[in-house]
Amino acid sequence: MTTAVQESQPQPSKMVRAKEWSDEVEEAYRFQLAGYRDEVEYKSVCKAEATRWPHNGYIKKLMRKDGNWYYYNKSRECSDKDVPKCKLYVY
Amino acid sequence: MSTGKTLLFENPKTEKKEKYGYKKVKEQDPAFTIQSYMPNAKVAGPPAAGAFKPRKAGPTAFRKFYERGDFPIALEHDTKGNKIAWKVEIEKLDYHHYLPLFFDGLCETTHPYEFFARQGVHDMLEHGGSKILPVIPQLIIPIKNALNTRNHQVVCTTLKVLQHLVVSADMVGEALVPYYRQILPILNIFKNKNLNSGDGIDYSQQKRENIGDLIQETLEAFERHGGEDAFINIKYMVPTYESCMLN
Repeated sequence: MTTAVQESQPQPSKMVRAKEWSDEVEEAYRFQLAGYRDEVEYKSVCKAEATRWPHNGYIKKLMRKDGNWYYYNKSRECSDKDVPKCKLYVY
Repeated sequence: MSTGKTLLFENPKTEKKEKYGYKKVKEQDPAFTIQSYMPNAKVAGPPAAGAFKPRKAGPTAFRKFYERGDFPIALEHDTKGNKIAWKVEIEKLDYHHYLPLFFDGLCETTHPYEFFARQGVHDMLEHGGSKILPVIPQLIIPIKNALNTRNHQVVCTTLKVLQHLVVSADMVGEALVPYYRQILPILNIFKNKNLNSGDGIDYSQQKRENIGDLIQETLEAFERHGGEDAFINIKYMVPTYESCMLN
């Protein structure tokens, strides 16, 4: 069953698994840890921009769907063993 | 009272043993007792002082607050357990209240207290910015208590936290210099605690659990971020420390 919020947001047409770490993979890892597909879904659900670290633009904090906050480190968090778990969506 | 010599002749078993080369081991008398003043008394040496022995930490305030549900953190019972879900934004927290409490939990060794204290301290330091510096004086006693447990796991965690603390915000390294007298004695005790494994592999190095190495890293971080007085103050408390910047 799809809700009104899910219907209004754009749906991805393709998904690939990450093969090696990159800034893009790091970004996807942080969103997916908080329970979102990517930034597009975060924006449509929370109606807000994600807070980012000023020096490298990585995600700093995200509000989860239950209203709690997840905080992320300044540096890389996605370890090599977590890379294949990351899903990269294409619209 | 019979002496050791008369006993030897009275007991044939002992005599036989002596014949075959066994030596009769005389029991040692504890020092400062009447027995120790007897003519042929062998006085035992002093017992170990226990400088390296782990000590028990009492019940922490962190545990009390956690069990009462006073922390703004959400419990999660899933498998991806390396993050804390905060109910309130960290920026809005009262650092004077919460940061010393989380530091107090560093003495804990059992789950979940140990995890929440360690991760809570990490998140608050990473995102605290300028709110950390005014709280430094309140952190010293929890840090000292944690190091004083001399527990391997607790000391390792505390050293990593100290390394994070000095880089967490400007001037924090300098603010710690007056408190070296409280923090550094334990570092001095364990500075040489390295495994001599010959040419074998010391796996604790890979896991960053080698106390000797962690202490060296911590002292170097203190010196780098502690300003111009840092080295002389470290040297005063840890005489074997050599500067990583002057040489």
